[in-house]
Amino acid sequence: MATHTQVSLPLPFLPEGWSAEKDFKAIGSLTAATQRSIEPVGPHFLAHARRARHKRTFSEDDR
Amino acid sequence: MAAEGQTTGTAPGERHAIGISFGNSNSSIAYTTTEDKAEVIANEDGDRQIPSILSYVDGEEYNGQQAKQQLIRNSKNTVAYFRDFLGKDFKSIDPSHCHASAHPKEFESTVAFEIQDKEGDERSTVTVSEITTRNLKRLAQSATDFTGKQVNSAVITVPTDFSEKQKEALTKAANDAGLEVLQLIHEPIAALLAYDARPESKVSDKTVVVADLGGTRSDVAVIASRGGMYTILATAHDYEFAGVQMDKVLMDHFAKEFIKWNTTDPRENDRSLAKLKLEAEATKKALSIGTNANFSVESLAEGADFASTINRLRYETIARKIFDGFNRLIEGVVKKAGLDVLEIDEVILSGGTSHTPKIASNMRSIFAESTTILAPSTTPTAINPSELQARGAALQASLIQEYEKEDIEQSTHPAVTTVKHLSNAIGVLSITGDESRGVFTPIISAETAVPARRTIHINSPKDGGDVLVKIVEGGSHIKVTKPEPKPKTNGEKNDGEEDEDEDDSDDDPEDVREKVWKVGNVLAEAAVKGVKKGGKVEVMINVAGDLAVTVTCREVGGKGGVRGNLSAP
Ligand SMILES: Nc1ncnc2c1ncn2[C@@H]1O[C@H](COP(=O)(O)OP(=O)(O)OP(=O)(O)O)[C@@H](O)[C@H]1O
Ligand SMILES: [Mg+2]
Repeated sequence: MATHTQVSLPLPFLPEGWSAEKDFKAIGSLTAATQRSIEPVGPHFLAHARRARHKRTFSEDDR
Repeated sequence: MAAEGQTTGTAPGERHAIGISFGNSNSSIAYTTTEDKAEVIANEDGDRQIPSILSYVDGEEYNGQQAKQQLIRNSKNTVAYFRDFLGKDFKSIDPSHCHASAHPKEFESTVAFEIQDKEGDERSTVTVSEITTRNLKRLAQSATDFTGKQVNSAVITVPTDFSEKQKEALTKAANDAGLEVLQLIHEPIAALLAYDARPESKVSDKTVVVADLGGTRSDVAVIASRGGMYTILATAHDYEFAGVQMDKVLMDHFAKEFIKWNTTDPRENDRSLAKLKLEAEATKKALSIGTNANFSVESLAEGADFASTINRLRYETIARKIFDGFNRLIEGVVKKAGLDVLEIDEVILSGGTSHTPKIASNMRSIFAESTTILAPSTTPTAINPSELQARGAALQASLIQEYEKEDIEQSTHPAVTTVKHLSNAIGVLSITGDESRGVFTPIISAETAVPARRTIHINSPKDGGDVLVKIVEGGSHIKVTKPEPKPKTNGEKNDGEEDEDEDDSDDDPEDVREKVWKVGNVLAEAAVKGVKKGGKVEVMINVAGDLAVTVTCREVGGKGGVRGNLSAP
């Protein structure tokens, strides 16, 4: 895949006493989104449309 | 490129498609080479910008530059500036640009021109639809001659405010010209695609302003470009400030000079006016390259020749109002999108008028230093602004020409194109897990269409260990810092009236404005344990179409990792 954005500022240490099942804590959900129209143009849109029409996910698409 | 695997029914292999940009002032045609590079085609006169003008002399049809020359002697049988009349009723059109060519008139439910387009004296009523068909036929013929293959389909660019009716009218006119319309695409999107398709450009998340400054109109769009997908956030249109107004400034300038030495005003005679206009436009274009330009017309009026020169600075001074108009339009649409100029990553100057160096330098001062200004005078590798739309259209044509008509229609259907867009950025906190002190690093930008997926690699503390990945929403805002007030050293007022006063003084200390992140809603926490010294952590965020989120974190190169889900709101 493409190269990923590199971030140099480091992650913090895990606070003392932090614990969660399988090391993951779900805390919130995303803020409600806005409906907008994407322009049906370009190679990346075509990939999006293909996934949408065949109800495929990104990882299925990667294979 | 990238044709879909499964085609059913009639193979669209018979298509030979081009990209067409069709403006009120100029048309332009482009094709893609076998290396998927878009190139603009020169017509038989050698022009890549082909004036959208048709003229008739003794039943013979002329188009492009040859038709434009006919504006001097044969203006009544010359049709110009008609694109925006398509699909409109007479009452809603602005005919002012047709003052010096065939006048549009009401005809049934549409707009038509009365011209002598056949041999003999008979005049015919030709609808704007028919004129458009003729223009497109000439373009398709030029492309056919150039490529040696019969062109039979096209992607055509349209303004973002083109109505459904206008689109239908254009599609019909193209069909009548023997062209299957594969797709109509928005002009600013075509321009953006032309840039993004360059091999050196990387897929990224950026917010782009496309300023399309043409002959009779200026159109600006703010576009969220996210992973190569484009969403228009705001648009603005202006008919008061565009290329013809800049011609007018030069026409007035030279007309006044002519009057000094002669007795008549060349603007009062149609033929003189037409000559004045053509030369003013040529002078204006020359001023985009040189700092001095000539203006010379044989027998301008009263049989007197006229020659003069003008320098760029003088021109920029007399045209200042128009430049200010462009600035206002562009700043206005950024605001309309709910953004600040600091949030614009790229400005693409498109359209013929965008060759003007002053416009690009104004953009340089309006936008932040980090903003890329793509214009010929600021970026040596910029694409010719007059070619962007046709190139983008050609690229899109090559992307879809192998598709069945049905597939194209399905893909462009609102069921596929209308999707949720993120309200806030999603990112991770660095340095500390404390929301008030941690540094927010965006992973997915606001206004990204979902489903979306992004991955970053982020450093761990120097010696590694157990780290916290805290996923939060972030909103950007603008922080303004007042500088220390400086004592006034000079009392002179700078009213900007002076002719050759280019830069406003930098004496006044300006507020320092910067974009900063504000951490919002906390979404999740994850632990990545035992990261080795100097190790990095990969964080992947996958947002589904319903806004459910999957977060995956692991040490880069490490095994396993942590994975968790957030339910849709
Ligand atoms: N090198 C140049 N320098 C300055 N202005 C130029 C240059 N080249 C073209 N123009 C101007 O650009 C304008 C035409 O722009 P463009 O070709 O984008 O037209 P268009 O999209 O057909 O216009 P319209 O706004 O009328 O629909 C004309 O006013 C022309 O004089
Ligand atoms: Mg245009």
